[in-house]
Amino acid sequence: MAQEETFSYWKIVFKRLIKHRIAMVSFIFLLIIIAMAVLAKPLSLGNDPYTYVSSVPWSERVELASPGPGHVLGFDSMGRDVWSRLLYGGRISLFIGIFCSLLDGLLSFFIGAVAGYHGGKIDEFLMRFTDIMLSIPILPIMIVLSAVIRGSLFTIVLIIAAFGWMQGARLVRGEVLRIKNEAFIEAAYANGLSTGRIIAVHILPNVLAPLIVSMTIAVAANIITEASLSFLGVGVREPIPSWGNMLNGAQVYLIFAPWLVWWPGLAIFVSTLAFNFFGDGLRDAMDPKFYSRKGR
Amino acid sequence: MKEYLIRRLLFLIPLLFVLAFVNFALVSAMGNPFASMLQMPGMTRASIQSLLELWHWDEPLPIRFLYWIKSIFSPSLRGGFSTSIIGTTAMDLIIQRLPITIALSGISMLIAIIISIPLGVYSALHQYSKTDYGVTFLSFFGMSMPVFWFGLMLMYLFSYKIGIFPTGGVHSLFININNDLVEFSQAPWIRRFLDYTWHLVLPVTILVLFQVGRWLRYARSSILEVKNMDYVRTARAKGLSERKLIYKHIIRNGILPLVTFFGLSFPALVGGATITETIFAIPGLGRLTYDATMSQDIFVAMGAILFLSIFTILGSFIADILYAKLDPRIRYK
Repeated sequence: MAQEETFSYWKIVFKRLIKHRIAMVSFIFLLIIIAMAVLAKPLSLGNDPYTYVSSVPWSERVELASPGPGHVLGFDSMGRDVWSRLLYGGRISLFIGIFCSLLDGLLSFFIGAVAGYHGGKIDEFLMRFTDIMLSIPILPIMIVLSAVIRGSLFTIVLIIAAFGWMQGARLVRGEVLRIKNEAFIEAAYANGLSTGRIIAVHILPNVLAPLIVSMTIAVAANIITEASLSFLGVGVREPIPSWGNMLNGAQVYLIFAPWLVWWPGLAIFVSTLAFNFFGDGLRDAMDPKFYSRKGR
Repeated sequence: MKEYLIRRLLFLIPLLFVLAFVNFALVSAMGNPFASMLQMPGMTRASIQSLLELWHWDEPLPIRFLYWIKSIFSPSLRGGFSTSIIGTTAMDLIIQRLPITIALSGISMLIAIIISIPLGVYSALHQYSKTDYGVTFLSFFGMSMPVFWFGLMLMYLFSYKIGIFPTGGVHSLFININNDLVEFSQAPWIRRFLDYTWHLVLPVTILVLFQVGRWLRYARSSILEVKNMDYVRTARAKGLSERKLIYKHIIRNGILPLVTFFGLSFPALVGGATITETIFAIPGLGRLTYDATMSQDIFVAMGAILFLSIFTILGSFIADILYAKLDPRIRYK
C-alpha cells in the first residue's frame, strides 16, 4: 500500500514536470551542457587543453590569438586553445557543482534528521551551530581556507561542501519536526524499530522531495562559489581548466581579448540559470500542497 | 524585551570569542610570518628568535591567541594587530577600510530593498501576470549571475567601450574645476561627493542586482504564502474591502518574515562585496582580506576576517532584535 503510494506520487511529479515548460527548457539546456562536458574529447576539434599551441608571445600578436579556423575561440594568454579548455573546464566545474551538492545533501539530511528527531540538547546544539555557520562571512573565510590548504581538486570540493549544508539541514529538520508525531512514526516506534531504521525507512522518503529541490538549486550556488574562488586564484589550480580559473587574470586582457572573458562567464551563467530554473520547476512539481489542492 | 535582549547579548560574546579563536587558528596555519624574514638583509637567526619572543610567537597557540586578543584592546601592545607588510599597523588598515565596505554594502542593500519589496509584493498580488513573469525572470537573473563576470562585462561596456564610468577606485586623484586640476582633498565637498558617486555607480549596480534577485524572490513567496491563508479568506468572506485586505492583512503579515531574511543576507552581501571590491579596486575590507591572504600578511588577514565576521553577526543580531520588537510572539518564547 505504502509502496504503491510513493510510486504514484513520483509518477505524478514526473507528469507535472514534463508539462512545466521552463523546467523542460532548462533541462534540455542542462543535457546539452553536460553532454558537451562528457564529450569534450571528440568535440574539441583535435585540440588538447593542456598543450601550448601558439608559440608566438600572445601579448604581442593579439591577432594570432583571435578566433580562427581550427581554434574557434582563439587562444588564452598562455597560447592554449580556449574552446577545448572551455569543454574540459565544464567537466571540472559541473563535477564540483554536482558532487558538492550530493555531499551537502547527505550532510544536511544527517544533521537535520538527527536534530529534528532527537530534539532536546542535541537539537539545540546542532541548530545553534547551523545558525552560527549561517551568520559568518563564508566567502572571505573560504578564500583564506583554500589559500591555507592549497590542496588538490578534492580539497576544494570539501571546502565548498563544508559551507553549503546549512539551509538544507534546516529544511530537513523542519520536515522531520512536522512528521515526527504522525501516527505511522509512532507505529514504527511501537513495533520496536531502531532510530536509524525509522529515520532511513520512514523519514527519508518523506523529506526526499524538498531535499532534492534544495540540492538542485545548490548545484547552481556551488558552481558560482567554485568559479568565484577559482577566479580569485584560490580554487581549481592551473593547469587544470575550470570555468572560474579561465577568468583568473581576465581583467588584464579585457580590452584586447574580451572573448576570453565572455565565453567562460556565459557558460557559468547559463548553467546556473538552468539549474535554478529546473530546481524551481521541480519544486512546483513536487509541492504536495499544490498536488492535494488539484487532486481534490 | 529587555530580558530577550540580554539573553541574546550574552550569547553574542562567547560566539565572537570562539569565532575569533577559530579564525586565529585558521590564519595561523598559513605559516610562520617570521620564517620568511630570514631572507631579508641584515636578519640573523638570533634576531628572528628575539622577535619571536617579543611577539610571543614561540608560545603555544592558545596563549598566542590570548596575546592577540589583548593587543586588540590595547593597540600600543606589540604582538597582534600591529603589523602589516606595508608598514602600518593592521588595525589602522582595518579602520581605514571598514567604512568603505559598510558604505558599499549599506547603499546597495538599501537600494535593493527599496526596489524589490514593492516589486515583489506587486508581483505576488498579481500572480501569473506579465509583470510577475518579468519579476521572476529578473530574480532568477540576479540569483544566477556570477558577480565577478557581470562586473567585468559592465566594466568592459561602460568603462572601455562607452567610457562613461571609471574602471576602479573610489575617487579620482584630481578633480577638474574650471579647467584647473585640483587635488581631491582640496575640492569642495559637493564635487567630492559627485566624484565618489561616479566611481560607485558600477560596483553598486552589480551588488544591487545580486541582492535584488534574492530579495524579490523572498518578498514574492512570503506574500504569496500569506495571500492563501485561511484568515485572509475569512476576512474576504466577511466583506472586507480588497484595499483594506491587501494593506492591513496581507502586506503587513507578509513583510514581517523579511526581517529574518535581512539578517540572513549579510554573509552573502559581504561575499558579493568582496568580489566587487576585488574587481573594481575598491579599498574595502573584502579586498584587504584577499590581498592579505595572497601576500601572506597574516595579522592583517586575521583582523580583516574578524571584523567582517563582527559585521555580519551584528547584522543578524540587529535583525533578531528588530523581529522581536515587531513580533511579540518571539519575545515570549
